[in-house]
Amino acid sequence: MSKTLFEKIWDSHIVTEENGRSLLYVDRHLVHEVTSPQAFEGLRLNGRKVRRTDLTFATMDHNVPTSDRSLPIIDQTSSTQIKTLEKNCKEFGITLFDINSPNQGIVHVIGPELGITLPGTTIVCGDSHTSTHGAFGSLAFGIGTSDVEHVLATQCIMMEKPKTFEINIKGKRKNPHAVTAKDIILSIIKKIGTAGGTGTVIEYRGDTISELTMEQRMTICNMSIEAGARAGLIAPDEKTFQYLRGRKYAPENYDEYVNLWRENLKSDSSAQFDKSFTFSAENIAPQVSWGTNPAMTTDVTDIVPFPEEYGGGNTEEEKGAAKALQYMDLKPGTAITDIVIDRVFIGSCTNSRLEDLTEAAKVVKGKKVSARVRAMVVPGSQLVKKNAEELGLDKIFKDAGFEWRESGCSMCLGMNPDILAAGERCASTSNRNFEGRQGTGGRTHLVSPVMAAAAAIHGHFVDVRELDLN
Amino acid sequence: MKGSVIKYERDNIDTDVILPGPYLKIHDYAELATHAMEGLDKDFHKRVKPGDFIVAGKNFGCGSSREHAPIALSYSGIKAVLALSFARIFYRNAVDGAFLLPIEIDESAYKDISDSDSLEVNISANEIKNLTKNKVYKMKPFPELIGKIIEAGGLFNYKP
Repeated sequence: MSKTLFEKIWDSHIVTEENGRSLLYVDRHLVHEVTSPQAFEGLRLNGRKVRRTDLTFATMDHNVPTSDRSLPIIDQTSSTQIKTLEKNCKEFGITLFDINSPNQGIVHVIGPELGITLPGTTIVCGDSHTSTHGAFGSLAFGIGTSDVEHVLATQCIMMEKPKTFEINIKGKRKNPHAVTAKDIILSIIKKIGTAGGTGTVIEYRGDTISELTMEQRMTICNMSIEAGARAGLIAPDEKTFQYLRGRKYAPENYDEYVNLWRENLKSDSSAQFDKSFTFSAENIAPQVSWGTNPAMTTDVTDIVPFPEEYGGGNTEEEKGAAKALQYMDLKPGTAITDIVIDRVFIGSCTNSRLEDLTEAAKVVKGKKVSARVRAMVVPGSQLVKKNAEELGLDKIFKDAGFEWRESGCSMCLGMNPDILAAGERCASTSNRNFEGRQGTGGRTHLVSPVMAAAAAIHGHFVDVRELDLN
Repeated sequence: MKGSVIKYERDNIDTDVILPGPYLKIHDYAELATHAMEGLDKDFHKRVKPGDFIVAGKNFGCGSSREHAPIALSYSGIKAVLALSFARIFYRNAVDGAFLLPIEIDESAYKDISDSDSLEVNISANEIKNLTKNKVYKMKPFPELIGKIIEAGGLFNYKP
């Protein structure tokens, strides 16, 4: 019987099945400081151990300050959460990349760069953006703290089998430096909506996907959760195998693995998906979100929509758009390129990898950040930071007036010192523009790294297709 | 279960407004509860009473995997969220930790139920009685295994 890639990975991980729910084996468990303390406490209370310490890896990313690492952490609750993870990892025998480790970084950045993320594996993490790892053909689920405890104790997770959803992305982008993976995924979410993928595992396929680099594929899979999907998946290919070769935790007999992956990890040509959507990337424009969820996004050449037009007769959609515009303090009909910004954030598990920074630096080189803007670049990991500095990117950003900071989740989620003040407007390369996400009363516009960089220079959004990015 | 309704006529109520990021560092559940719904409704914690229900639109709980979201609602007294649909991680967290019941209702029930209505929810009969309006609505039954986990009092108490 022909199978999809998802079904192949799913079937090969079933330990037992009952009433339509399966107990799945977990190959890799990634842990961070925010969703794990109660899970470890639960183990302790019940006298349980971590079943597979060798398959469990931890780091601290959500509430670490991104300023000078030699200084103490001022926020006591953050400091406690970080120390708690250190203590738990020591007590339970788990590998931790702590705040001073050269491998510290955002959990979804370090998994792939250390070769912890491998094709055909199952990965879980107490974080919704775990879908990122799907770019490597890994079935990766975001879970809550109860499930974190369950996985720590059993190395298994109980799940109902998700439906399969194929998104075929076709066509050659005319200017791939200006129209990025971020613009592709935002355009898709705009079309299918924030619940368009609910209950499904999305497999992204098609010639556009094949053309993307691994880092770009991660940006696509990362935002699967913003469409409500349980996971996003891309079949591994030669680029995947090349990317992981020689990484710290990649297997020693690597070529044998590659042969197995190459042979097995793809959907059969006659495999049936429960749902299918075809998308042309050929003519898409750079995207800018205007509202308070990632589907509220439009072309940079467009205007802020009128709620009644956005709703298209659906009163709930119309009300939602009106509320969003009120929060965002935007007037319908305003040109997107007339929206003036106060802050720029280049970072997060969506867009903080070396290529994101390299592309953004091309826009910035030799220019100055607008006097009205405070702009920061936050590399996704210490390794990204080191590699970027070797290329001189830090100098390009700093010369232009950007802050060049230490790795972490930073201004993506408002739980460390990097936050927006109420009323501040930010061009952000992160993944969520929810109300208050980047700080109470803060206003987020989701964009690609090149769009964010250009907005920093000009003080408002500009169509990066008009810039020379080659 | 009997209680009164706090209604938000909104789709996509995300976990960042249910429990904003800065409070994810709080470990004390009672303290977490004082910040429940703060991103959307600053008066929620003053208003909510033990046994209350939240009624909301589509895709309730979308976004982050933070279990703090159902925990904060639960410890503020919310027994169930009645919504048109739920985001999956929120749904799962609510059931696994036995924090609250995520109940799917249909469009007509959603429209009919008003803020402050008194409801009686009977999950064994899949029925919601509106005591204020003297009406009965059907709720979507829980899938069999979810029902068993709920009955057991969460994932850790459930024995296959």
